[in-house]
Amino acid sequence: MVQIFDVSVFFIVFRESLEAAVVISVLLAFIKQGVGRSAEDPTVYKQLVRHVWVGAAIGFAICLIIGGAFVGTWYTLGTNAWGASEDIWEGVLSIVATIIISVVGLAMLRLNKMKEKWRIKISKALADKDVRGKNWFRRFTRKYAMGFLPFITILREGIEAIVFVGGVALSSPARAFPLPVVCGLAAGGGIGYLLYKGGDYMKIQYFLIVATCFLYLVAAGLFSKGVWFLENFVWSNAVGGDVAETGDGPGSYDVRLNVWHVNCCNGQTSGGWMIFNAIFGWQNSATYGSVISYNAYWIGLMVSVVLMLFKEKHGHFPLLKSWTEKRRAAKLARRQKKRLEEAEKESAQSHDTDSETKEVRVSVV
Amino acid sequence: MRAFSRLVALAAVATATLAATVQYDFSVEWVQANPDGDYERTFIGINGQWPPPPIECNIYDRVIVNVTNNLGNESTAVHFHGLFMNGTNAMDGPVFVTQCPVPAGNSIIYNFTVDQPGTYWYHSHFGAQYPDGFRAPFIVYDPDEPYAGQYDVDTYLTVSDYYHTSIPWLMANQFLTLTNPTGSEPIPDAALFNDSQNINFQVEPNKTYKIRLINMGALVSQYVWFEDHDFQIIEVDGVYVEPAEASMIYITVAQRYTILLTTKNSTDRNYPMIASFDTDMLDHVPPGLVWNVTGWLTYNNSADFPQPALIDEYNFYDDFSLVPVENEAPYEPDYQVSVDVQMMNLGNGVNYAFFNNITYVAPNVPALYTVMSSGNLSTDATIYGTNTHTYVLGYQEVVEIVLNNFDTGKHPFHLHGHTFQVIERSDDNMVYDPSNPGTINEYPMRRDTVYVRPGGYMVLRFKTDNPGVWFFHCHIEWHLSQGLALVLVEAPLEIQSRQVIPDDHYAACKAGGYAYEGNAAGNTVNLFDLSGEKLQPDPLPAGFTARGIVALVFSCISAFAGMGFIAWYGLSEIKTTSPEVVDIVGEPLDNGDDDESK
Repeated sequence: MVQIFDVSVFFIVFRESLEAAVVISVLLAFIKQGVGRSAEDPTVYKQLVRHVWVGAAIGFAICLIIGGAFVGTWYTLGTNAWGASEDIWEGVLSIVATIIISVVGLAMLRLNKMKEKWRIKISKALADKDVRGKNWFRRFTRKYAMGFLPFITILREGIEAIVFVGGVALSSPARAFPLPVVCGLAAGGGIGYLLYKGGDYMKIQYFLIVATCFLYLVAAGLFSKGVWFLENFVWSNAVGGDVAETGDGPGSYDVRLNVWHVNCCNGQTSGGWMIFNAIFGWQNSATYGSVISYNAYWIGLMVSVVLMLFKEKHGHFPLLKSWTEKRRAAKLARRQKKRLEEAEKESAQSHDTDSETKEVRVSVV
Repeated sequence: MRAFSRLVALAAVATATLAATVQYDFSVEWVQANPDGDYERTFIGINGQWPPPPIECNIYDRVIVNVTNNLGNESTAVHFHGLFMNGTNAMDGPVFVTQCPVPAGNSIIYNFTVDQPGTYWYHSHFGAQYPDGFRAPFIVYDPDEPYAGQYDVDTYLTVSDYYHTSIPWLMANQFLTLTNPTGSEPIPDAALFNDSQNINFQVEPNKTYKIRLINMGALVSQYVWFEDHDFQIIEVDGVYVEPAEASMIYITVAQRYTILLTTKNSTDRNYPMIASFDTDMLDHVPPGLVWNVTGWLTYNNSADFPQPALIDEYNFYDDFSLVPVENEAPYEPDYQVSVDVQMMNLGNGVNYAFFNNITYVAPNVPALYTVMSSGNLSTDATIYGTNTHTYVLGYQEVVEIVLNNFDTGKHPFHLHGHTFQVIERSDDNMVYDPSNPGTINEYPMRRDTVYVRPGGYMVLRFKTDNPGVWFFHCHIEWHLSQGLALVLVEAPLEIQSRQVIPDDHYAACKAGGYAYEGNAAGNTVNLFDLSGEKLQPDPLPAGFTARGIVALVFSCISAFAGMGFIAWYGLSEIKTTSPEVVDIVGEPLDNGDDDESK
């Protein structure tokens, strides 16, 4: 089962497609509420909706192509060059994957926040079009704003997903990719649809909480496994070729680092225990490193949750109040300065245009 | 009748007065040498020379070997392999069995008579020292031997494996460590004939040579043959046998075979002689290892020295079928010692060797000294230690040793102080079943070192006619260090009443700071109190220990707590506050820009 469904790929794709689905659902909600004169004119409404879907579809298609090309190239070239079955690569890749998942995971629990963020961004993008319309690219995007936004969003989310999946799942066989990708897309799309339909926030949130718990179980296990692989690499080098002969028995592990060992239930090779290994990072031969790293990961996560809740409540991380406020003030000042400069430029240009028009008029008369 | 017994007494006195005393003074020291022409290294030599000189004497001679340890950085001890030491058990040599190690700067005297003719050898019996060079032949001549007059030249030829690196270093760094969990023995670097290679064994045509072959190696058994020359095996390990026609022998470490080889008529060519490793005994064969050594039966110094021909298989003579000249029917056993051989890892990750789950750990007091200081309690095996695997045997009994080899390798086992009848030796992978015995010869072969096949068993019988403490062990030095040994205390009360330990032997103990009285722990007051004795490492834990359970439980708690925090995060209220908007879009929103409000 593990070899055709890479759990971390599923979660990455789920998360990214969820965000993309949120964008689309927000856009569609805007259109429904009457942005761009759609409330008045049903044909305009239909046109805008079509823009959204076309933009999304093109973005998605490009992502599929890029993603497919990436995975294909990696598996024909990369694995051979790297010998990705070596313990040291397994270890490093597992830890990299954990970092990616950890950073990305908690955001899934802020769907409303995600929706708010996109609502603000989209509003701003739609508003901005009135201020600047000079160059052809901007005119194009203005005209097809409803299509361009989902396109660019999906392209960005998709490429993010490809990069994260690449980091997370490089040590899995190629056949472990298609199924979780499809499932992730389906799950993300499904949640987005529920959002659009105004589904029960609480029910969705419960589902997302469970999904996130699962995700972090996998991530903790991956982190522990990463450390375990690195220690195993050192041990294999110390013993030399004979390690393979010892199988699961004495000699297959370093007694000095060992916390528990059972001569069965190998998470790398034996059936059901492989699933335990995939989800919880179970090893039949645990080291101090693998156990401590597992616990350290959870402790780190709990600390992060506390910090993030604090920030949400107070607007800054603990002890960083003045630093955060200074930073915000500076950012605000920079933005306002830029705005002023642009306004000056605009007025200078329009002044020129005005004088041109004046001259023309004069000459005609 | 009276005349006859007087004649016998006269003959005995005459023989005794004819017996000489041979004295050797050995200064054991480090010597440089390069036996295979590839690598010069430091060896343990005697009196500045390496290879060490052979000891030669006649039967009934008294041999006195005065050994001074001038190594500077190692202790030593000498064992005269195959000699019975009847009445002089203290001269046998293995450390912590019959003596203490002799520290650097000290000396010890081995003083014994030799009542047995044949081919023997002497070697260090301290740790795994002898492969560093401390070994040489010990030849006992007997003008009245069964084959007297049937040969023209009496000479010896040794074979050996050879390590470029010092054995104690290999032992500590590569062999007895947890990074060698399979117990893989270090591979020798070369094979040697007479501690050299490409030797010329000068022969004349139409002569019969009595060649005493000795394997002085540490690990590997060797096949030895002389191209186009058959020979007769006449003696093994000091036991004369009916002549056995053979073209190749298989000689394990510590074994000796004496052969009669008759040379050809003409001197037109030279013939290669070859000794070849039994590579089955190597854990792996490294590329570039030359596992043969060649010499030549040199008839003609100006003729070619051809390279040996390749052979398809080894057709060696199975020593099981040899018939001793002094043949005896199988003894009837009075007592059986049954041991199973296996190799396992203990709690420190190191691979050890076991007889019946006991790996030999040396006691604090040599077992012989425990005998001498324990009075009537010397017949109780407990006082000799928990980890020395000691059996106490009676006097003038027949003891049967049944040995089941559960390891996948061949092992040559040696019993000190005796030769034994080899009653049975099975093929590979058979367990001893008394109701279903294998082949038993009418007159079983006798020797003092014999190999058992992988997975197979062997049955040995000997008479306890030699009071003493005798070591029984695998003669592969690596396995001896892994503890594949046991101790037989034979007739301890007779040892006490008939034998004396010389003062210089006790002096060696004092010089090294070792105890020389009391039980295995050195306790002289209560011989059953073994606290302080050395024990084997604890076994590997089978499954979860307390530490493992704590770790697993704690990890589960962390995971559940973590998931709780995630749920808490998910369920918290969130509002997009003004500062957050700045983070998102770079400036606070004016209310007018909010389209939704329209």
